[in-house]
Amino acid sequence: MQVALKIWRYDSRSGERALREYEVDAPEWVTLLDVLDIIKDRQDGTLAYRKSCRMMICGSCGMRMDGAAVLACKTRMYEIAQSGHIPVISAMGNLPIVRDLVVDMDPFWAKFKAMKPWLQPGYVEPPDGKEHLHTQQEMNVIHKESLCINCGCCVSECNAMESDPEFLGPQALAKGMRFVGDPRDQAEVERLEAYNSENGIWECTRCYFCNERCPKGVDPRDAIAKLGAESVKLGIDRDLGAKHAKWFVTSAKTTGYLRETELVPKTQGVVASIKEMKFAMSLARHGKIPPPFPPHVAADVKESRALYNLVKTQGRDGALGIVQGEHALGRIEFDEAEGAKVTDPEVRPEKPTPHAES
Amino acid sequence: MKRVAYYKGCLASLSAKELDTSTQALAPKVGLELEELESVTCCGAGDIHEAEPDYYLHLNARILAYAEATGAEMLLTICNVCTLNLRQANFQLRGDAGLLGRVNENLQSVGVPAYSGGIEVRHLLWEIADGPGYELLKQAAHKGLKGLKVAPFYGCQILRPSKLNGFEDPDRPWSLERIIEACGGEAIDYPAKIKCCGFPIIQAREETALGELIQPIEQAMEAGADVMVTPCPLCHLALDAWQSKLEKATGRKFGLPILHLSQLVGVAAGLEESELKFKRHVVSMKPVIEKLSV
Repeated sequence: MQVALKIWRYDSRSGERALREYEVDAPEWVTLLDVLDIIKDRQDGTLAYRKSCRMMICGSCGMRMDGAAVLACKTRMYEIAQSGHIPVISAMGNLPIVRDLVVDMDPFWAKFKAMKPWLQPGYVEPPDGKEHLHTQQEMNVIHKESLCINCGCCVSECNAMESDPEFLGPQALAKGMRFVGDPRDQAEVERLEAYNSENGIWECTRCYFCNERCPKGVDPRDAIAKLGAESVKLGIDRDLGAKHAKWFVTSAKTTGYLRETELVPKTQGVVASIKEMKFAMSLARHGKIPPPFPPHVAADVKESRALYNLVKTQGRDGALGIVQGEHALGRIEFDEAEGAKVTDPEVRPEKPTPHAES
Repeated sequence: MKRVAYYKGCLASLSAKELDTSTQALAPKVGLELEELESVTCCGAGDIHEAEPDYYLHLNARILAYAEATGAEMLLTICNVCTLNLRQANFQLRGDAGLLGRVNENLQSVGVPAYSGGIEVRHLLWEIADGPGYELLKQAAHKGLKGLKVAPFYGCQILRPSKLNGFEDPDRPWSLERIIEACGGEAIDYPAKIKCCGFPIIQAREETALGELIQPIEQAMEAGADVMVTPCPLCHLALDAWQSKLEKATGRKFGLPILHLSQLVGVAAGLEESELKFKRHVVSMKPVIEKLSV
């Protein structure tokens, strides 16, 4: 089949940038990476991109197709070529481009290293002197985080990092959760203190681009929520983000609805709130600051309070609370007609992949 | 008329009452009979999911249980964040019998009816962008928008994660554009329409949030938008109420009016000012009203 691509070529030394179109003859089974290989072999040896394993394990070939980060080796071209669409290939976002599709990963690795991505076991020896045994439930907490291959697809699309390049970002924080949630690691408090920094957990803007793009199902946003939950559980909650989150809990228990007007002083403190007074008054004129008294209380709010008191006795605080039902979420599949639905992986029909003899 | 349980969430109950009044007024015109839930609470807005996730799951189960108790099969939401929180909890509960059993035991022990898993959570946007709701919308929008240039702003949590939302392609959504066109407006295209407004961190990390907020506003205005529309009251609050902060931080003037989805359709359907409540917006709606009255 004929496959056409448009590729953003770039040279950081000269600053030259150009969108070039290529068309090659390729077997129907090709991936985007295969197509790039063919272009480089037969048409333009100067095209630069990273690759290694070609099987979604090394994490080298992250790039953008039509503006969305993908692993080139995971992206089949058959349907795209058949549709007649010519996709635009470019380097990943949020990282400096070195040349063509190659980005400078140094800022990525600097954040990765800042997480201390190694086990800090302290002096706890396994009870039998041989090995640590763990429950499935303990493994579930860090199972998805363990799948990360450091490809950078999540970082490429992170909206918070686009606004503040110092944000630690989805990959580093997911890696951090992989160690915070590891029962063998003894540095949980130290880690969470560090991850609660100005550019840590609470700078995540919950845009969910990371979950959407991750080619390995790590769901970095969920990992960040787990770090938040572990922080709150251990009382590491001085950050404005943690206070903000806790105010929602207080609101749900006391009135049922978010106590919006008190959210600012409860998050930012009274002094900061006074500085915000002029802004607040401008909102108040339009009814955007509902009076806190009398409070707007949901009917039967005592049920909500009783539920809180009950679940707090059931030992599912922190990250354990997030992984409940996670297998169900992992089984959601899409159906064009029916939308999202939970399917049983045992009976799920495999989507046929196009095969062809070259 | 399709009878649905109606979950308006916190903002439409409090600071964004205009979203509630316009939704209530619009609903019968698009074939929806709203059964308002009385004793439900906040969905947690992602914050309770992050601080006390087990409590988040129970709060949302309670909302779903009360929705099911009305006899309706659908819970209608009007906020992106409510939509994602409720859909996520719903998938967790429906796909894990053990978890549903434990949560139901807890619900019943505090006097809440058990949830059997029979509720579908859907946003108003999805109800009127396709199917019978869309057909009714076309008829209802008789007054039209007179070619008003409208910038659609989706926000995040109605698109992503797509496996939990799944109504449309999260990178190439079409629902708002379709509605804008059906109402006689002209949909403006710009890249940031699927990005984050920054609202979730607007208090904890204001600078980072404003760096996000400026993108849709700036791009939509450059593309010639008269007004922006969003299906999410949190995006609305950021885009409308925080626009003055953006102006102060950048020394520029924007003045881009922001509409809730129900207001945009409401204008085209001829709702009254008492239902649209434009005076509750921080950025003046005057230029839009003038354009429409010509």
